[in-house]
Amino acid sequence: MIAMNNNRLSTVKEREDFFMTLYKKTFPVVAQYVARMGGSLEEAQDIFQDTLVIYYEKKVSEKGGIIVNENAYLFGIAKRLWMRRYEDDSKNQLLNDLDIEDVPEERLADGKILHYLETAGKKCMELLKAYYYDNLSIINITTLFGYSSTHSATVAKYKCLEKVRETVKQKSLNYADFIE
Amino acid sequence: MRTSLNNIKIIDDYLLGRMAPEDLPLFEANMLLNSDLSDDVKYQQSTYSIIRQYSRQNIKSEIKAIQETLATAPEHVGFMRSIGNLFKMY
Repeated sequence: MIAMNNNRLSTVKEREDFFMTLYKKTFPVVAQYVARMGGSLEEAQDIFQDTLVIYYEKKVSEKGGIIVNENAYLFGIAKRLWMRRYEDDSKNQLLNDLDIEDVPEERLADGKILHYLETAGKKCMELLKAYYYDNLSIINITTLFGYSSTHSATVAKYKCLEKVRETVKQKSLNYADFIE
Repeated sequence: MRTSLNNIKIIDDYLLGRMAPEDLPLFEANMLLNSDLSDDVKYQQSTYSIIRQYSRQNIKSEIKAIQETLATAPEHVGFMRSIGNLFKMY
């Protein structure tokens, strides 16, 4: 079952308020920690960005659960991210290492393939994001995207999935052509 | 729904763990016998990974926009100054 308890984070505005509140509440503590460890303001901001992405994913996931002390939880993530940053040099790997879900073994050339997603269109990608990443209910999606019924929203979702999958398929085949 | 969309739906159910348990063995046997199906499953799995990367970038841009607001809007000057001071103490 998909959790449907995150519908209050379904619009940019709602997320903006959510992130702003967390910034005001928790960023000072994280910044103080990073400063004490000899880091810079920019590093503290980087860490906090990733912290919020991870927290957001946790919050909207099916396994979200109830987080009793939000502040302590966020600080915990930030601290772990900071320590990881100096354990391995690969700064850009932060989010990938801490993936909440398992990432499929097959890694595609991110930048390249993301570029090709233009073919699927922005509305399609937004629709897929709303369903698969933000975990919004199909009822909520129907309203947000202005579909006439949950059925048409569902069909649109599968059509978009098909378009992107087709792109992936073609790009992978091309790639295979190159390496063989 | 047309057949190709049904194929998408079935794979979707399978990958998201929503396929009825009684349908699983047949589906998995089909994957072994039909390489087109197993390819589709693989491509669809990559598709989810791409959706996640796309979504992550979007959420991250939203978060960066908040940082930008904090750094530039007059009402946050006091907050940002107190943050900046933390880095002068060490």
